[in-house]
Amino acid sequence: MAGDQNPRPSGGPDDVPSGAGQGWTALSYLIAGMLVWGFIGWLVDRWLGTGGIATGIGVVLGMAGGIILVVRKLGTPN
Amino acid sequence: MFGQANVLAQGEAVFPPSVEDFYLPSILPWGAENSYWFTKITAMVWLAVGVLIIFFLASYRNPQLVPTKKQWFAESIYGFVRNNIAVDMIGHAGVRFAPYFTTLFCFILLTNFFAIVPFLQISPNSHIAFPAFLAVISYVMFIWVGIRHHGAGKFFKNSLIPPAPWYILPLLIPIEFFSTFLVRPFSLAVRLFANMFAGHMLLLVFTLGGFAMLNITPWLAPVSVLSWAMTVALTFLEFLVIVLQAYVFTVLTASYVQGALAEEH
Repeated sequence: MAGDQNPRPSGGPDDVPSGAGQGWTALSYLIAGMLVWGFIGWLVDRWLGTGGIATGIGVVLGMAGGIILVVRKLGTPN
Repeated sequence: MFGQANVLAQGEAVFPPSVEDFYLPSILPWGAENSYWFTKITAMVWLAVGVLIIFFLASYRNPQLVPTKKQWFAESIYGFVRNNIAVDMIGHAGVRFAPYFTTLFCFILLTNFFAIVPFLQISPNSHIAFPAFLAVISYVMFIWVGIRHHGAGKFFKNSLIPPAPWYILPLLIPIEFFSTFLVRPFSLAVRLFANMFAGHMLLLVFTLGGFAMLNITPWLAPVSVLSWAMTVALTFLEFLVIVLQAYVFTVLTASYVQGALAEEH
């Protein structure tokens, strides 16, 4: 297994995380995106008393951010 | 463990099982209440440490060119972790992490495996403390390795600032921070803990459930037997989970180290 791989320099740019790692990374970005911005939205909701609108916007924004991150970091191995 | 055996012998199985079943009685102050300094769990952790040290020392004490069976076994475990985890994930720089990954993999595999060894039958990893500490080691290690490799400034810049136009960075940086520095250790620990906890709980439910049904009426005996047959089947499933979780934990640690070493994104 090790012999048939091209020697890779330590942590070169072509070192994309393989298989399982990549999957978990993608999943964690999507969930983290929703959680972080959902939480920020929830704080805004509590602050302004906007009853859930900011949370909803936050979750959607976070989801978009998560997708951007997945596409940017995992989508194009160049 | 003794308590449970007695209960079963008296024919009054406590059903359903609860979290209490994971807190085994104290061994050193024998049967002491609320003393968790030395329990079966502690004993099993030390047992695992001892077994691993002795196994690898004995296997490598007198290495042969044509390996003996034991040496072959030890070498295949190490070779597997080195080639299929360390080198596969990190590249050739990964070889220097292979000893740690092998230790990690073997320790988790063995402590997980205690879940289905007769008379041990619970994994220390079904207590969050052990997976949590292993996760802390992985967490500190990948940050340390990254800082050593890049210097603190470049490491945090690399891991917090994704390649994206500046106007979406405010949206992305909190997500990066959250998923890299907060979620990683947490999910690493919880994934292992929850799998081992659920596995033990599942086996308890099906074993004790059989007794519980039998105690209600002998007419339920066939269902009890079915329940115990399920226990056997679930033990095989549990074995799968044991190996898989040890593998996943090691692979993810390797993946984090890889991320810390990577030049760009």
